[in-house]
Amino acid sequence: MRHNFIDRYAALESPLHILEPRSKLLAFTALIVGVLSIPVDRGSLFFVYFFATAVLMGISQIPLPYIMGRSLVILPFIVLASLAVPWKGFYGIGILFVRAILCLILLILLTNTTRFVELMRGLRKLGCPQILVMNLGFLYRYLFVLTEEAMRMKQARDCRRVGRAPFGEELKILSSMLGTLLIRSFERAERMHSAMLSRGYSGHFPVLSPRRFSWHDLVFLSGITLFIVLTVLLR
Amino acid sequence: MTDYAVRITRLSYTYPDGTKALEGIDLDVARGERVAIVGPSGAGKSTLLLHLNGVLTGSGSVRILGENLQPSNLHQIRRQVGLLFQDPNDQLFCPTVFEDVAFGPLNLSVPAGEIPRRVEKALGDSGLDYALRSRSSHHLSLGERRRVSLAAVLAMEPAILGMDEPTSNLDPRNRRHLIEVISGLEATLIVATHDLELVLDVCARTILMDRGKIWADGETRSMLSEAGLMEKHGMEVPLSLKSGMRS
Repeated sequence: MRHNFIDRYAALESPLHILEPRSKLLAFTALIVGVLSIPVDRGSLFFVYFFATAVLMGISQIPLPYIMGRSLVILPFIVLASLAVPWKGFYGIGILFVRAILCLILLILLTNTTRFVELMRGLRKLGCPQILVMNLGFLYRYLFVLTEEAMRMKQARDCRRVGRAPFGEELKILSSMLGTLLIRSFERAERMHSAMLSRGYSGHFPVLSPRRFSWHDLVFLSGITLFIVLTVLLR
Repeated sequence: MTDYAVRITRLSYTYPDGTKALEGIDLDVARGERVAIVGPSGAGKSTLLLHLNGVLTGSGSVRILGENLQPSNLHQIRRQVGLLFQDPNDQLFCPTVFEDVAFGPLNLSVPAGEIPRRVEKALGDSGLDYALRSRSSHHLSLGERRRVSLAAVLAMEPAILGMDEPTSNLDPRNRRHLIEVISGLEATLIVATHDLELVLDVCARTILMDRGKIWADGETRSMLSEAGLMEKHGMEVPLSLKSGMRS
């Protein structure tokens, strides 16, 4: 099974990839906050941000179809969101859509230019609590194991099923599958904890860090800061 | 006293749900010895292994290299006893191979400068290429994952190594490779397994466990040839002994 769906292109070596994770985390957070804080009546600013994002996309060397494909997953949420908020006309929905898609593209860029490990190190160095970063790491590691387990269960179900059961019955099967998955994860967590203890774990998760802050980061961060300041002045 | 790597006396353990897993286990393992623990599923083999470094603690005493295992010296004992788990997915919890192998040594406060050397050596000792270090464990085959797990344990340079089903689910080539790697290890070995051919290859001494007790303890070949004993405890005489292939 091939699954590297979160940081698929993170192993490239573009100018964005070689930056220290901390500078990327800070810069992308700033950009996302920037996008979120664009006033609704300043629609033209979205173009400015869109341009900046496009430039970053170009630098990153990540294939455009991939980014576009990934960012489409937001669509159902947009539809839901537009149902949930009071109707503000198509312009309102449009703004919501552009805002969301810009943020998502930025996130896709961040996660695909930084290997997940590096991202975690960056978070840790920026003072994010260790327990949170550690759990994020486990999430990344075991998402794949869980997916595989779920797919095996689905296969096992499909092998014993002829035709389609009534909807209620299907739902029952699905919920019991989810329950089993939960219990299995719980058991696995216990075994993992044993494995961690066996290798001397005592509450502190050790981190190594190869990438260092360099002049690239300085240039990048200055650029982003300048951009943010300009867009704020433009308002 | 200190000639023993492991000395277990009257060890009993009951799981929280009331299952009696171990009942009055007495076991001595000499330094450098290679001992196999065989027996049907649910015999208590894995539970016994988990007692070697205090992940589980039952009643009775466990002495490791002359030290009585207790909460105060747990850290010290875990430096000495490495455990290889059955499912590599339980053992490899870090995002990359390098970090997984480095996890133990870092916990042992090995200086950061020495870590890459340790990782390289451990990977090499497990028959793996150093180039594998930046891969994620979910991209590896089961055979590779099993060996990375072994490397993660070896990186701690344990004096005693407990293994739970090291060859299960491996294809013949990976199994053979792993057996060669295991045979080359210097640590005191305690291997819980159903793979009796592995036992014949690697361990001179075998212990037969069933329902939480030790039923036999002796020279591997003669014990595994005893058809009556083996069948009584849900095992069978290995094919290579039956057909006289091993001489």
